Amino acid sequence: MDFKFIIEALPKIMLAVPITLFMSLVSAAAGWLLGLSIALIRKHRVPVLSQFSAVFVSFMRGVPMVILLYISYYALPILLYSYGLSIGINIDINAVPPIVYAIIALSLDQAAYSSEIFRSALSAVDEGQMEAAFSVGMTRTQALMRIIFPQALAIAIPNLGGIFVGLVKGTSLAYYVGVYEITATANLLAMPALNFIEAYIMTTLIYEAISFVLNKLFRICEDRLKKFRAGASA
Amino acid sequence: MENTFKPETIPGYIPNILRAFPVTMEILLISLLISLALGALVTAAGIGKRKWLKAIANSYIAFMRGIPTLILIFLIYLGLPQLAQSVGVDLTGVSKTVFIVACLSLSSSANMAEMMRASYLAVDKGQREAAYSVGMKEFTAFRRIIFPQAFGIAIPALGNNIIMLFKDTSLAFAIGVIDLMGKARAISSASYGANRLEVYIATGIIFWAACIILEYCSKFTEKIYTKGRKKATS
Repeated sequence: MDFKFIIEALPKIMLAVPITLFMSLVSAAAGWLLGLSIALIRKHRVPVLSQFSAVFVSFMRGVPMVILLYISYYALPILLYSYGLSIGINIDINAVPPIVYAIIALSLDQAAYSSEIFRSALSAVDEGQMEAAFSVGMTRTQALMRIIFPQALAIAIPNLGGIFVGLVKGTSLAYYVGVYEITATANLLAMPALNFIEAYIMTTLIYEAISFVLNKLFRICEDRLKKFRAGASA
Repeated sequence: MENTFKPETIPGYIPNILRAFPVTMEILLISLLISLALGALVTAAGIGKRKWLKAIANSYIAFMRGIPTLILIFLIYLGLPQLAQSVGVDLTGVSKTVFIVACLSLSSSANMAEMMRASYLAVDKGQREAAYSVGMKEFTAFRRIIFPQAFGIAIPALGNNIIMLFKDTSLAFAIGVIDLMGKARAISSASYGANRLEVYIATGIIFWAACIILEYCSKFTEKIYTKGRKKATS
């Protein structure tokens, strides 16, 4: 163990923690919104969109994250560039930071997994709840926002916590498309003097700490939302 | 930047990448067997009466669920030999496949343990009492009454875990094993990256197809296994 290396490298690796968290938060926010839309589309069997969503979800769940990252990293610049040409702008592809491609791949992955969670949560809320909301004169949007979503969220939150921790762990793969998050930074620092064991023990502890805090946070959310759960599921 | 993407060449790469399929299968099957055995051990410790065993089982699961698989791979492949060397053990001759199997077994065993614990607890308590009441010993009751029912409950989760493990085998390329993903990288670097997008899409399609088959098998097994059995969940 090279303690001098640990003292020197730890602050540098810690500086990469916000990048990992930023990537996770943006991907989760975008992914879960898309996931909720997919869940609603599939629940109401919207023609064309519903079939398209089913194929999308199946693809995302079947392909490993690292391949999705590579596809996004190599395909999006081409798409972006030809789109730019078609509207008459010459987009400088090299100016786009790789974190954008990573976030897009991670968001789509989250969308697929969260859509399944939202779908089962929505169907777990009793049908009678919707009818009761209508009977007191609520519109469809009101009923969804005030009655259905809070209950569905209470059911979905433990699973959402699970995929969010998975997402944070998944960001370590963004290393392969050149994002300098925790893993890439640790690798870079370990290379010159081959301090692998020290670097990866630090990285492990950092990820363990993040997972621990996130699990606690989601547990708190779960407790807070419990009031929406009492006897609500069918 | 030129648009060099040729979607019509994608199917042509599939047979070439598939030549690495046996390697992926070998990694998957061995890891699966070891992770099931490890998972069973952890579950036995977790549901047993001894408090310290319980604590070890729970912290093992929490640790494995908190660490990204990629970091575990780096930690064991790059870090462990360094650590072993300092106590006089030489690990340089061990093949990369052994390392990858060890990592995947460890990371998957936590999910397997969770699955086994949940399905064990889902079997109604009365079943065990009934088995005792007709004079069965503890082990006989487990083997003939509890396990067959818990297995039926576990099939969907087991299928999911196998799919996750299968997707995780794609990380074997991180340490240079020529599995499906490693083969894809080799093909794309042989052409200096000219066909990388097509190759990764082809690899994605292979994984997708395999996952659909695995999912179908899991559904089929569940249907066959639970046919004619009463649901014994509490």
